[in-house]
Amino acid sequence: MTRLRSLAPGVALGLLLIDVVGMLVLSVVRPQFLSTYNLFVTGRDLSILLLVALAQMVVLSLGQMNLSIGSIGGLVAIIESGLMVRYGVPVPVALATGLVLGIVCGVINGLLVYWTKINSFVLTLGTSYVFAGINLGITHATPFYHIPNEISSFGQARVGPFPLMAAVTIVLTLLLAGFLYQVVLGRQLLAAGGNPLAARLSGLPIRRTTLTAHAISGFLAAVAGTMLMAQLGQGQPTIGATWVLPSFAGPIIGGASLAGGSAPVLGTVLAMVLISLIDDGLVLVSADPFWVQFLIGALILGAVVLGRTRLSDIRAFLRISTTRLGGTTR
Amino acid sequence: MRRSLSFGSVSAGRLTGGALLRQVALLALLIVTAGFWIYFSVAASGFTSDFNLFSLLRFAAIQITIGFAQMVALSIGDLNLAVGAIGGATGMIAGWAMQILGLPPEVAVLFALAAGTLLGFGNALLITWTRINSFIVTLATASLITGAMLILTHSDPFSRLPDSFTSFSETEVAGLPISNLVLVMLAVGVALFFLYRNLSLGREMLAVGANRRAARMSGLSVDRVVLLTHGLSGALAATAGLMAIAADHTASPSLGSDWLLASFVAPAIGGTLLSGGLVSVAGTIVGGVLLATISNGLLLVGIDNFWITVFLGVVLLLAVVLDRVTRAAGGAVP
Repeated sequence: MTRLRSLAPGVALGLLLIDVVGMLVLSVVRPQFLSTYNLFVTGRDLSILLLVALAQMVVLSLGQMNLSIGSIGGLVAIIESGLMVRYGVPVPVALATGLVLGIVCGVINGLLVYWTKINSFVLTLGTSYVFAGINLGITHATPFYHIPNEISSFGQARVGPFPLMAAVTIVLTLLLAGFLYQVVLGRQLLAAGGNPLAARLSGLPIRRTTLTAHAISGFLAAVAGTMLMAQLGQGQPTIGATWVLPSFAGPIIGGASLAGGSAPVLGTVLAMVLISLIDDGLVLVSADPFWVQFLIGALILGAVVLGRTRLSDIRAFLRISTTRLGGTTR
Repeated sequence: MRRSLSFGSVSAGRLTGGALLRQVALLALLIVTAGFWIYFSVAASGFTSDFNLFSLLRFAAIQITIGFAQMVALSIGDLNLAVGAIGGATGMIAGWAMQILGLPPEVAVLFALAAGTLLGFGNALLITWTRINSFIVTLATASLITGAMLILTHSDPFSRLPDSFTSFSETEVAGLPISNLVLVMLAVGVALFFLYRNLSLGREMLAVGANRRAARMSGLSVDRVVLLTHGLSGALAATAGLMAIAADHTASPSLGSDWLLASFVAPAIGGTLLSGGLVSVAGTIVGGVLLATISNGLLLVGIDNFWITVFLGVVLLLAVVLDRVTRAAGGAVP
């Protein structure tokens, strides 16, 4: 827990600095960066991908992972748009069904991990193909066009440069941070991730924390899928197909550890801002779109390498300061 | 360190009740595969035609080689998420070397294998220098490699490969409906079996996979083992890439993008431990044949290609869950 409190501000501060510099550079080099439309489009992509990254962060905080975030998002978008377009189901009912489906998919992942105690990587790799296959089996890779206007206009709605979708993301991010840092179950989740053995021995509800983390992950994936559907104006079967990389890039650059125990919400937010800046910057300088993939890969490596050195420095520093205070560190 | 006596699977640990169980599991896998063959021969018209068997076995050979590339990384307890990226990039390198540079196929093949090995070395160096989890490193390098490949090739395929190269995959062995590529896969399989059964490097790899810390403390140069393992994994991914472009008659930039599931399914069904320390070459081969049989047969029975994805996902889940159950029953502590 000390690690969480002490390290997160360092990573966040560095990322904040990079983000601000990036924004300044972009607005000088390419003034159209500050145009209302560009800010709207970038903010909308960020709103969706941030939820994707948080969906991964919440399971990483438990020391597990979820490779099926993208296929949950895609399946949810397909079921929602299918219900509305094909069967004329009212919008609120269709969206509620989709979000519940996301939670159910997450719970299935959680139950599999809890029951079998098998590596969550291979389990969620398996379920990701099951969810994606159901999506393709239903749609045969053809989108559901003409979703109700309420939805698609929400995807285009904005207040000045501020996409209305961002409101959903901001509320969910704050709720998640509040849950992880203030609610008992959230604290237990982080504790279980930090040291599973100690958590089990001290009687933490392992089953509940595992299921909760995966359910939240499925829910956030479902919201992200729904929002992308609203943005595209149709139920695209390919929704979520490219989410694996950003889902890990956000939390890892933001300071999360694969070993669990840390949930850097702020770091993840700032890392996703950076990724959106890179994405938008490459569009503005009309660079080859393949550079995005290359640069995100380089960024992950760079961040973890930097994180390594910083981690040891900070640990050494903490050891000195806390021994002076008579405290202990892990 | 005693050698496990079970056929096909080689582990670092002592011989336990688990070894017998693993043999039973491999036998069961063979029976399941044979069952599918019998079922499809009856239910799917054209399943036993020479043309279908030829393409089924050739597809299986490629899937198995992809599985080998992952199995090697798994043997030391690492993951290689860049198997598809390396296979795709080296396939493109070979295509470029043959079509643009006009190099003879033999040279292009060596070129691609060397590139695959180097990319694998790159993964290993990042893992050993930074001590970062192989998952993150190979996730990042996969994205780097594929990104660089797409930037350099502008996502254009190389579709005019020399006949002398592509005809290799079309040639039948001794008049049987078996592609040369099956022989390549079998040769690789025998070499890997020999590596894990007889060579000290193979035994060291399994020792590192079984308990990296113990291996380090008993004086093994773990970094050297990690380097050679990832180099080998990269070379095997390149081999799979070369086999795929020979079979497709074209080096396409999307090559390798759908290898992730296949790379885990064949070893996982075959009994290779995902946590390291135990591999089964024979199991991976049978697992890959089962994978190819199901994909091919279900399509012939008239099941939509899209649902087959669901089926393969379920197969992977069943394989790992069953593996967990057998190990619990066998009392083996790998």
